[in-house]
Amino acid sequence: MKLGRLPWAILSPAITFVLIGIFAPLLMTHDTAQQDYGALLQGPSASHWLGTDYLGRDMWSRIIGGARTSLVAMVFVLAAALVIGVVIGSLAGYIGGITEMALISVIDIMLALPSLVIALALMGVFSGENFTWMSDYWKMILALTLAWWANYARMSRAVVVSELQQPYIEAARVMGASHIWIFVRHILPHVLGLVVVYASADAGALVLAIATLSFLGLGVAPPVPEWGQMLVDGMSYIEEYPSLVIIPGLALTAVVVSFNLLGEAFALQKVPKAIRGSLLRRKKAERAAEDEARRRVEAGA
Amino acid sequence: MIKFDRRQLLATSAAFAFIASIPRVALAAEHETLRVGIGGETGDLDLLQNVSTLSSYTVVFDALIHYGPGGKLEPGLATAWNIAGDGKSISFDLREGVTFSDGTPFDADAAEWNLKRWMGVADFSWIGIADAYESIVKDAPNKITIKLKRPVPAALLELTIVRPVRFLSPKAVDGSGKQTAPIGTGPWIVEKYSSTETILVRNDKYWGEKPAFSRMELKVVPDELARANALRAGELDVIGGDWVAPLSPRRAKALEGEGMVIVAEPGTATTILGYSPKSPVMQDKAVREAIFRGIDRAAIATVLFEGFADPTVDIFPTTVPTAGTRHEIPARDVAAAQAALTAAGWTGGGGGWTKDGKALEIDFLVSEESFPGSRRIAEMIQGMLTEVGLKVNISSVDNATMHERRPAFQYDLTFFATYGAPYDPHGSLGASFVTASDTGPDGKIYISDELDPLVQKALETGGDAREAAMQAVYDWLATNVTACPLVVTKRLWAVNPRVKGFSLPATDYDLPFKGITLG
Repeated sequence: MKLGRLPWAILSPAITFVLIGIFAPLLMTHDTAQQDYGALLQGPSASHWLGTDYLGRDMWSRIIGGARTSLVAMVFVLAAALVIGVVIGSLAGYIGGITEMALISVIDIMLALPSLVIALALMGVFSGENFTWMSDYWKMILALTLAWWANYARMSRAVVVSELQQPYIEAARVMGASHIWIFVRHILPHVLGLVVVYASADAGALVLAIATLSFLGLGVAPPVPEWGQMLVDGMSYIEEYPSLVIIPGLALTAVVVSFNLLGEAFALQKVPKAIRGSLLRRKKAERAAEDEARRRVEAGA
Repeated sequence: MIKFDRRQLLATSAAFAFIASIPRVALAAEHETLRVGIGGETGDLDLLQNVSTLSSYTVVFDALIHYGPGGKLEPGLATAWNIAGDGKSISFDLREGVTFSDGTPFDADAAEWNLKRWMGVADFSWIGIADAYESIVKDAPNKITIKLKRPVPAALLELTIVRPVRFLSPKAVDGSGKQTAPIGTGPWIVEKYSSTETILVRNDKYWGEKPAFSRMELKVVPDELARANALRAGELDVIGGDWVAPLSPRRAKALEGEGMVIVAEPGTATTILGYSPKSPVMQDKAVREAIFRGIDRAAIATVLFEGFADPTVDIFPTTVPTAGTRHEIPARDVAAAQAALTAAGWTGGGGGWTKDGKALEIDFLVSEESFPGSRRIAEMIQGMLTEVGLKVNISSVDNATMHERRPAFQYDLTFFATYGAPYDPHGSLGASFVTASDTGPDGKIYISDELDPLVQKALETGGDAREAAMQAVYDWLATNVTACPLVVTKRLWAVNPRVKGFSLPATDYDLPFKGITLG
């Protein structure tokens, strides 16, 4: 992949999000659950960089904590959905026949419904008495995983079916390669190449889905900070303290947009390039240099 | 030269007079119309169906007895009533000269027809007087007596409730007895209703004090912020009331700062933290005690309710009859809470508690859908109990799950609210504290074999002994720390300054209009 010369600034929210998620405990200035009724709804100050919320909790620490919450959930869901999707899709494509028909039917059913609707329904099921042993956080991760794998399965199957028709696969078979060897060595890399690219764009949608579930009160349980939950809690105060909504809203927007751009960049084998400022000048200079080189070659010829 | 004949002159003058009167007509219409925000459509106001919004019934239909301020019983369609010495028959003198808005006279026949639609009917057995019903005797054209199988001390209060006890014109039903139109004897007549608004016009034949304006528009605005903005923009005159269009304390504060009139009066319903009587961890009185002592009710009232709530430790507020003596509200005491746990054999401290090798963890069932704002209260309580060392896990669920888990006692802690006036105290006591009662998805606050006979006795005791019997229930509940009352939220309304003479109706199930004039 030609990922050199990136305007990293555009992708920085995604990178910052990941870094903040990883190093959150070092960045938080306060305990995210610590309530202080003497410091309710305060503006930014030296002790509370982004102010405090309606229970006097530090907004900066909660935004940082929210990034970690979303990142961990996102990584688990993406990894699990990717594994499930690739396994089911690959099996369907590789085995074929009735197995393929059955698995495709399941995939189509899953794809017929919006992932968030499936996740909501599953959250309803997991709210029952039989699942009280599982925390709301893991219920959410499980629900999103089960709602999210179908696209990866569909793509995996398509790649497997396409690759199986290639002559080199037939050559490998003739040479006595086992199914496992063929799949792992020759097909899986192609499958992963595609689904990982898709997953990078999907990460933003997933962060949004996590926030949506929390916004609806069905995701992360208090007092764990989560951006969607911070949004809905801030709604009651939107008239007088809009920052309670704007701050988590901006964080969410930045991460979602950034992951979308990252996914697009991977998908198109290029990165979005700004066409102004130094980049534009550099690009013009490069083009001028190329033209000059071409002229020299032509002149030499 | 322009020539005018007399006919043209008259026509032109009339046209000018008409045009000149348009603003005056519009202004007059505004002076004659009260626009009230409502959270959901009113529905068809069928008295036997649990569908339409309760508040809208109260202005269209009258009851025999009306619930006045502080629970005082006021004459409605009955001018006088008398309970026999054995408590098994109640006679009513019906108001004479009253007609339904379709012209049908209200008399003993109409009263009997109405009462027989729900008395003795299984669907309405949750109303004591309906369950104990035996017969109705028409003593005279304007006098009836209800005979009961057993005394029902709360009978008169039960006759003040909204649905199904109010009176419908006997002509407003079809052949199968289904209500076809909302025709009552009340001060307002439904002109039309839709999913977006209900238009009421004054009933000029109303027997009581007639409203000072002729039209009331109930505008459906489901979102609370949108209602507040409509009030600011002058599109609504009145918003508020828990059963009309709930107004949050935060929004009330904001509106108050912008010149709107905020009317806040002590409420009649208590917000209660319920301990599951079936949960193993909540069987331990020390755990209940620790929670009870570990919560700062005053902070909840101030921080989350902006002061529009009164902290309490009693099941019912003094705004409902026979609410019992008041218990002192203890200050939050983390040390006392921890001492209670230690005395009961729990070991640990602020970092957590264990007993017989098992950690103390509490499942706090919350549904924002069932009880708006509950998750924030739960979060605050969670923070307070964490300092005691109690690990509280908040399970945030949807309405359907709450309706499934609450009646099955599948929780350790969850929120309840008493019904408020005019249903209390008998309503909440008979439903939420009795093992055999059927409360459907609402669940029960606390039940026990020991409590059942006490409640039964209290509900069946009338006269002077009633207060003592009620007090015995309250004392038992308090001594055994069976529930954790938190606050009594104030009744909140916001009113446009053009509305003069606004006063809160007697209950949150009533729509305000009495005494109101429009500027």
